[in-house]
Amino acid sequence: MMLDVMVKALEKSTADHVEMRHHKRENLTISIKDGKVDALNNGAVEGVCVRALVKGSWGFSSTTSLLEKDIVKALKDATTLAKASKKQKKRLARLAEVKPAEDKYVTPMKRDPRKADKEELVRLVLDTDGVVRDFSKAIVSDNVVLNVVDDDLSFVSSEGARLTQRIVRCFGSVLAVAREKGNVASAYETIGAQSGLEVLDETPLDASGRMAAERADKLVSAPVAPGGLFPVILENRVVGLLAHEAVGHCAEADLVHSGSFLANKMGKRVASPIVTIVDDGRQLGGFGTMKYDDEGVPTQKTVVIEKGVVKSFMHSRETALQFKVRPTGNARAWNFEFDPIIRMRNTYIEAGDQSVEELADGIKEGYFLKGSIGGQADLTGEFMFATQEAVLIKNGELQESLRGVTISGNAFEVLKQVDAVGKDFIMRTGLCGKEQVNYAGIGGPSLRTKVLMGGAPK
Amino acid sequence: MSLQTVAHSAVKNCEKLGADEAEAYAQRTRTVEVVLERGEMQSERVKIHQGIGVRFIKEKRLGFAFSSDLSKDSVQTACKNAMKLSKTSISNPEWVSLPTKEKLPKAPTGIFDSKVAALSASNVLDLAMRAYDAVKEYDKRAAIDDGKFSALVTEIAISNSHGVETAEKSTLLSGSMACMAKARGQTSSIAWEYDVTRSIKFSPEKIGRSAAEKAVASIGPRRGESFVGKLILDSDSAAMILFYPLVYSVNADNVQRKRSIWTDKMGERVAVSNLNVTDDGLLPKGIGSSSFDAEGVPHQKTPILTKGMLKGFLHNSFTANKEKKKSTGNAVRDNYNTLPSLSVSNLTVEPGKKKLNDIVSGVDRGIIVRRFSGTVRPDSGEFSGVAKQASYIEKGKMKYALKETMISGNAFQALMNIVEIGSESRPTFGRIYVPPILLDKVNVVSK
Repeated sequence: MMLDVMVKALEKSTADHVEMRHHKRENLTISIKDGKVDALNNGAVEGVCVRALVKGSWGFSSTTSLLEKDIVKALKDATTLAKASKKQKKRLARLAEVKPAEDKYVTPMKRDPRKADKEELVRLVLDTDGVVRDFSKAIVSDNVVLNVVDDDLSFVSSEGARLTQRIVRCFGSVLAVAREKGNVASAYETIGAQSGLEVLDETPLDASGRMAAERADKLVSAPVAPGGLFPVILENRVVGLLAHEAVGHCAEADLVHSGSFLANKMGKRVASPIVTIVDDGRQLGGFGTMKYDDEGVPTQKTVVIEKGVVKSFMHSRETALQFKVRPTGNARAWNFEFDPIIRMRNTYIEAGDQSVEELADGIKEGYFLKGSIGGQADLTGEFMFATQEAVLIKNGELQESLRGVTISGNAFEVLKQVDAVGKDFIMRTGLCGKEQVNYAGIGGPSLRTKVLMGGAPK
Repeated sequence: MSLQTVAHSAVKNCEKLGADEAEAYAQRTRTVEVVLERGEMQSERVKIHQGIGVRFIKEKRLGFAFSSDLSKDSVQTACKNAMKLSKTSISNPEWVSLPTKEKLPKAPTGIFDSKVAALSASNVLDLAMRAYDAVKEYDKRAAIDDGKFSALVTEIAISNSHGVETAEKSTLLSGSMACMAKARGQTSSIAWEYDVTRSIKFSPEKIGRSAAEKAVASIGPRRGESFVGKLILDSDSAAMILFYPLVYSVNADNVQRKRSIWTDKMGERVAVSNLNVTDDGLLPKGIGSSSFDAEGVPHQKTPILTKGMLKGFLHNSFTANKEKKKSTGNAVRDNYNTLPSLSVSNLTVEPGKKKLNDIVSGVDRGIIVRRFSGTVRPDSGEFSGVAKQASYIEKGKMKYALKETMISGNAFQALMNIVEIGSESRPTFGRIYVPPILLDKVNVVSK
């Protein structure tokens, strides 16, 4: 048991506070390109890291060895680094009190991927590939991928925490490429959750395949949407990104401290009263769900913006003490090669009660922006997101589809202009990059607002 | 045990397990990195990242497995897993063979610097602090948002059943910094600067100064007008907007699968006649240079565009075998735990004659973009996004910083609308060596 090896190594500590994490990540990837098995890919990455605090200065060291003597060496290295770098640190770390827990957690699941029949999974991916390529003559190429990422985590601290967690994520993606008269268009769809393989029954991969093929086929001969400021419906598949990238990051306490848009806005109105934004560490099936974060703090549901008003930021133990609040369990690390930093877990905008037709009703001339393919945002709330498809709306009626463009604006201006929120809530998978990447859940319903679209000027 | 020995024994192991052919790719990287957050040192890390990836092929069925542990038992387990996956898989009729042994060129000069290899955590921290001080010295209004400085030593060893046995060591030193400027209660948009090199010849001061300069230049932005016209892209934005779609389109896998818009365009004009683009895996000091690619195939120099005409596609052994051609040595791997894919080694865009300042002087009305935050669809070439650190140019002079300005267009049309190619080329993290570029007929949209 790695827990015991680490507890043993911990006895050699001379630091004020020590955390050790063991992480084994097993990956299975099945990738099919144009009906051919590209490869079946399987393997594990495993190691241990040590974070040591000496007189307010952190030191970090990791090793891929699982032997006690090498873990003790990593502990010594981390302690030496902590001492050596103290001079250069302007702000010393102090941690909010947390009751050290002893606990075990396993992702709730019905079909454990460790017991899966791999041949059956290969067939499932091949079936989706068939659906995509048979969709129409215009579809010339595809790539269907299924991933299982199975994490075993253990955490021990000099305070007495003893935790093990097994977190299983199953997710897939489909890329469809259409070609016609020298024009090329592609479309991309994803599924996935923190779950066993039952997610493939709940959100079948072939349905995503059909959706991607249909979109690529439809857009291959379509022109690009125009540029300018327009009233729009942001589809539920796009809204999660707004909640995460543009709002969520601004509410991470480390970024609040560096002067994000939400600094000095606690208790103030920053969005329309019909907008509530949550970061939930416990959501069932959420891609970023953990019972304990990588500092051993129990996670919780954190309401960031309630009815348009800022309610809470996201914290590590260090920022919680600095802001004089309780830690929220947002300190996460990608793997044993990284120390934990403040990250979101599952971030979403709460559902309203309108149908997409009702949302369209209020628009004289605008667009229904569908399908996300990623985006970025600055600390000021300025964002840019790419959309795959822009459906023209005229007098409340959905009309022809155009190729999607990048949209931009300030998230909080966009959220202030939200005048209707849909009921079509969905949660999706995300991979967020903030110095180190991490899995995060993103979600929300479709909603109506105004954004700047980046096509050709009208 | 040397990495080469580990790789070799993995191949022998697979052969014993019944492989028709097998390949092992072993990697060991020592990283020393320092991360700055809010201008303060957040963490420093010394990491040994190592592992092995094994390709096992039997009856054209491919299994791939990896392990981060290089002990004999773990490598054997990886070989067995690869064998089991090969059995589960179905045969790929397009599979021909792993690459055969070829004479390798001499190692490109300047890809390993013992001084970089010897850098300790405190040395890297000193580099970061020098950049940090340069920001403060440049202008009091400039502040660091974040930064990262790292020194890497990487050793790669490749072995396969057809006699490929090769190993090489290289170093890489890089630094990046994001700055903002605060004035009159406002915060500028975030400016980014970086440098990446194989050798110790590296100026953190230049990174700090340049990041601060860009941040300060974007203080007090104004709204511009919407128009269709001239746009200057700096190296990084040019790589993203113009050359990322080009790289996608000359990738032989995309060509063969008809995903490339240039599938039927070999020998035709696809860009202005002064655009010359080459992929050069042997470029001295090149950040993507080495004697061989990620399958052990010799690196080479491959012409892609000559005088605007499409001259070459890039191949790995799989795409080359499909057409009974020779691989151009463009197999790449980000890491030991991924299968080889296909990309550039060092893509070099031949510089022109004019310096950036002279290009600006020649623009009557246009904008200059020094950070592009947007999307580029590499297959169709459509790009749209926000022009960050953008300034309005009138009668050859930079007038003011722009806010809420979006640019859009199509990369393949833009390659035909290049007006000027600058003289000052630099590498991007994506291994594209490109100077600033002036385009015409780009959409500029403001609120």
